[in-house]
Amino acid sequence: MGLSLIARRIRGRGAAALAIALAAAVAVGCAPVQQAAGPAAAPATDSFGTPADPAAVQQGGTLVMALSAEPDMLDPTQSRSLYSRYVFQTMCEKLYDLDQNTRIVPQLATALPTISPDGLTVTIPLREGVRFADGTPMDAQAVVTTFQRNLTMAGSGRKSELGPITSVEAQGASSVVLHLSAPFAPLTSALADRAGMIMSPAALQQLGDKFGTAPVCVGPFKFEKRVAQNSIDVVRDPNYYDAAKVHLDRITYRIITDASIRAANLQSGDAQVADTLSTQDVPALRTAAGIQVLQSNSLGYQGITFNVGNVSGLGNPVGDVGTPLSRDPRVRRAFELAVDRQGLVQAVFGGLYTPTCSPISPDTEFTSDAAQACPPHDPAAARALLQEAGVPVPYKITMIATNTPDVLRLAQALQATVADGGFDLQIQPVEYSALLDQQDRGDFEMLQLGWSGRIDPDNNITNYLSTDGGQNVAGYSDAALDALLTRARTSTDQAERVRLYGEAVTAIHAADPIVYLYRIRNFTGVTAKVSGVQVFPDGVVRLAFAGLTR
Amino acid sequence: MRSYLLHRLWQSAVTLVLATIVVFLGVRALPGDPALAFAGEERDPASLAAIRERLGLNDSLVVQYGKFVLGALRGDLGTSTRTGIPVSTMIGTGLPVTIELSLLALLVAIVLGVTTGVVAAVRRGRPAEWFANALALLGLSVPNFWLGLIAILYLAVGLGLFPASGFVPFGEDPVANLHHLVLPALVLGTGIAAIVMRQTRSAMLESLGADYIRTARAKGASPRAVIGRHALRNSLVVVVTVVGLQLGILISGAVVTERIFGLPGFGKMTIDAVFQRDYPVIQGVVLVTAAAYILINFLVDVAYSLIDPRIRVAGGQS
Repeated sequence: MGLSLIARRIRGRGAAALAIALAAAVAVGCAPVQQAAGPAAAPATDSFGTPADPAAVQQGGTLVMALSAEPDMLDPTQSRSLYSRYVFQTMCEKLYDLDQNTRIVPQLATALPTISPDGLTVTIPLREGVRFADGTPMDAQAVVTTFQRNLTMAGSGRKSELGPITSVEAQGASSVVLHLSAPFAPLTSALADRAGMIMSPAALQQLGDKFGTAPVCVGPFKFEKRVAQNSIDVVRDPNYYDAAKVHLDRITYRIITDASIRAANLQSGDAQVADTLSTQDVPALRTAAGIQVLQSNSLGYQGITFNVGNVSGLGNPVGDVGTPLSRDPRVRRAFELAVDRQGLVQAVFGGLYTPTCSPISPDTEFTSDAAQACPPHDPAAARALLQEAGVPVPYKITMIATNTPDVLRLAQALQATVADGGFDLQIQPVEYSALLDQQDRGDFEMLQLGWSGRIDPDNNITNYLSTDGGQNVAGYSDAALDALLTRARTSTDQAERVRLYGEAVTAIHAADPIVYLYRIRNFTGVTAKVSGVQVFPDGVVRLAFAGLTR
Repeated sequence: MRSYLLHRLWQSAVTLVLATIVVFLGVRALPGDPALAFAGEERDPASLAAIRERLGLNDSLVVQYGKFVLGALRGDLGTSTRTGIPVSTMIGTGLPVTIELSLLALLVAIVLGVTTGVVAAVRRGRPAEWFANALALLGLSVPNFWLGLIAILYLAVGLGLFPASGFVPFGEDPVANLHHLVLPALVLGTGIAAIVMRQTRSAMLESLGADYIRTARAKGASPRAVIGRHALRNSLVVVVTVVGLQLGILISGAVVTERIFGLPGFGKMTIDAVFQRDYPVIQGVVLVTAAAYILINFLVDVAYSLIDPRIRVAGGQS
């Protein structure tokens, strides 16, 4: 395999430097802003992986995937973590899925939904002859049961995603009709995620709210066991309707939270797939023999949220925070102009991530020139705007950010870049749970956090910036933007939606309650021992039809 | 004797109750909301309220504590708020891993530490002693996480001798189990081995200068017998005491080692639970730990009282 990744680091920079970096990682102290020296980063070109060639893979065998975080409950209704979606991909199919162009395609449905002209009735045709892992039939009644659970269960994470559904009914055995109180365009994309995973009514009856301890769905694999904090095993499901496409006997998801250790497992062959590779590891892994790095842009973003009106906590009426930053859009605009996005991603992530100014992914069919418009980096204009706004320059602002090494490096780089534009940025690192608490209470001036993203722009904007948005931690309220977002989510005309979201992005840039910084890229390492692993922009690692190479 | 036992039993029960109260209030004093930590980025006020209701966070502290205690008395420590797995199941799988890792690390520490300590003492002033001292200094200075990464780099990735991470239960495959634990045990045991080595060396040097060693030599005992049977045996009293004192370091070191090697142990479980504000898991692991400490202390006190009646009398009078 040649020089290993970590060895290259050590030899390249010296053991002392690595020791310091490691100490920083553990102590969560200060870390260098610049990306570690190493092989030059290749241009960001997508590499989604290709389906397995049946002639080139073995039948049977176990694939081990090093998973970067522990999934939460393996219950499609209650799950709230991206990492659960990795595991669900192999054992809980959905009504719809995404292809590599982020287009919605049928999975357990046989066609895209038929929507009535008034947008209030949605009909979904289902595959016939499909069985759950427990052998019971997956039919329209099972789909109704799943919808009812998602809509009514206390603490359901799916209820808000399903929008204004008033009732669900089975139409024969292979068709389901959804009735809505208002048109809801993001519904189909929601059904391409956990809201579209159909659960076995028999298992739901038996396990109730403990369904996640032994989930039963339709999938190429079925749940076998879970060792908390350690691993999840799924095994081939003989009941699967397309079993001929499945090559592996078992997939073990082994939880390894440290990126370097994941990379080491890939190199040692203990794991054949590893997700969320660090940008510090990617250049070396790309050149390592026997390892392929798949990559795609993510649908989400990382950004800066300003507290413009969150005076009494999330869910309460917005008010006047009383700072120039909250009152005067020119100050926030100055911050946006002061940020050097390209410099940031170059310094902190070796240029491997993608600068962005938009909540809408350029990889989706909702993108437009207006949606991707980006204010230039102009520190002189930023200073001029601050002076025009009448605030002292440098203007002191405090940002809370999670205390992880990557985020702290980002914060320090941001601190350096906005200094030229007249900002004296103070960094206040806090632990993730504490940060969530602080932001919901409105106890912050500005904060750095991101969103993993969805294909429909409604999920990326409305929740965060509409007055009644469930995650409007900025406390932002703009009646014009609210109206735009409502029109966009209720329109069934795709071209109109694209135009409206372009206008929404323009409106966001005019007030800058959130400054979008960059999109991460999904880097997934795959060894030559396995074929058929794919990763699309939704970030989910698709292992179900992979196989061990002959 | 009976009154002493009753007295110690009463003390232990009070300590355990106090420990549960401190832990219960302590986890709730942490900044951050378990419902928020559970919901993560996918949250809205309505679902947060439902989660709080489901987790019982809307009850008063007294009610929450009462439910916790009543559950614990029935052997039900609740379920993890994050994964939905019963806490008792998690402890049942995590605790044996940490115990096995700690025992193996202790074995490494004793074998390495005593051997190099004896060599350093017997070969005083020679290169062997310098080498052993250098090793000890290295063992004391190099932190666990660094040593762990180096071990993974060279022994797992480079030479492919051991798995880089993961765990196989002993009952499933004993050989694979030990294969997975060799590196973590070496990493965890090295730091303690350095301390054991230094103590062994000092104790051995003291023993080797004692009159009874001179006598043994004068009687014509072989060098091996002098070192092994006379000097080392007397030095081991100190070594055993030192090893006992390292148990705390062993447990805290296990937390770091478990994280590096991805071992599903007790320490890793505790740390992850704290970061995720998983109250039932934190309470469960601390309760079990406190109960174990109290039980061990109780048994030690009972043993002392059996050995030395004066302790029993003093204890009974206090």
